Amino acid sequence: MQDHTTEQELKDRLTLIETMIAEGRRNTESWGWTFVLWGVAYYLAFGWSAWGHGAWAWPVTILIAVIVTIVVASLKTGNHPETTWGRAIGSIWIALGISMFLLFLTLGLSGRLTDQHLFVAVISAILGMANGASALILRWKVQFACAVVWWVAAVTTCFGTDAQSMIVFLIAIFLCQIVFGIYGVIAEAQERKRRGPVHA
Amino acid sequence: MPDLPELNPVVHGRLRLALLSLLSAVEAAEFTWLRAKTEATDGNLGAQLLKLEEAGYVGVEKKFVLRKPQTLYRITEPGRQALTEYVHALKQLLGPAIDA
Repeated sequence: MQDHTTEQELKDRLTLIETMIAEGRRNTESWGWTFVLWGVAYYLAFGWSAWGHGAWAWPVTILIAVIVTIVVASLKTGNHPETTWGRAIGSIWIALGISMFLLFLTLGLSGRLTDQHLFVAVISAILGMANGASALILRWKVQFACAVVWWVAAVTTCFGTDAQSMIVFLIAIFLCQIVFGIYGVIAEAQERKRRGPVHA
Repeated sequence: MPDLPELNPVVHGRLRLALLSLLSAVEAAEFTWLRAKTEATDGNLGAQLLKLEEAGYVGVEKKFVLRKPQTLYRITEPGRQALTEYVHALKQLLGPAIDA
């Protein structure tokens, strides 16, 4: 067979194998839209709590964002096969969602969600943990940079004024949710376009 | 000089190679997902999957989910072995040209 097979064809086959294996393992890049959705949800919750109703703003906004995420995700990934990587990364984000929802719901309802610095520090540290863990599993430097931004936000918010703490948090949301989410969506679209169809 | 290895003709087909590679990365995959990833036609995809199934490289499971038929494909151990051997053979054939 190899008499009729050129070196370029053999290289193409090797590239095809790498591309398809990567395609099967693809996970986080397909979830760029959730980062954008949650970035917008954080902004809405912040805006709502600034107007008052601080106890309800976060739990209600997060609950709505959870429902939208579940509905869209089930429509989008209906026939996507399970992978060990996918389950590992999915479990990190599901556990993060449950922890944040329970923590901030009970803190809000009990009236103990009064220290903005502590709130921003905790939420930033948890998001840093989830992004960092996903980035290390996927070996994705861009996502690890997001984790670093969250960790920096968690530390700096402990020292600044209320206004500075708010600004740090809003910047981190913009960079790590909105910008990173849009980057993920674009990267996925470009990869799909670059790959093209596979013919027999 | 050592003999150059033969490339497995069942694995070498472009679409069959893509299918085996995809299936090696997941636990099991639906026909529709494989079609979306390879952008192959139903007929071509079905024919190539049948060849892989006949070679014992792919296992098929048919079931009903919410009254809808679902066909799941998964790579078998001989299939994984064949893909590994194919990659080794490719690398051996390419030799130093692999980095060029």
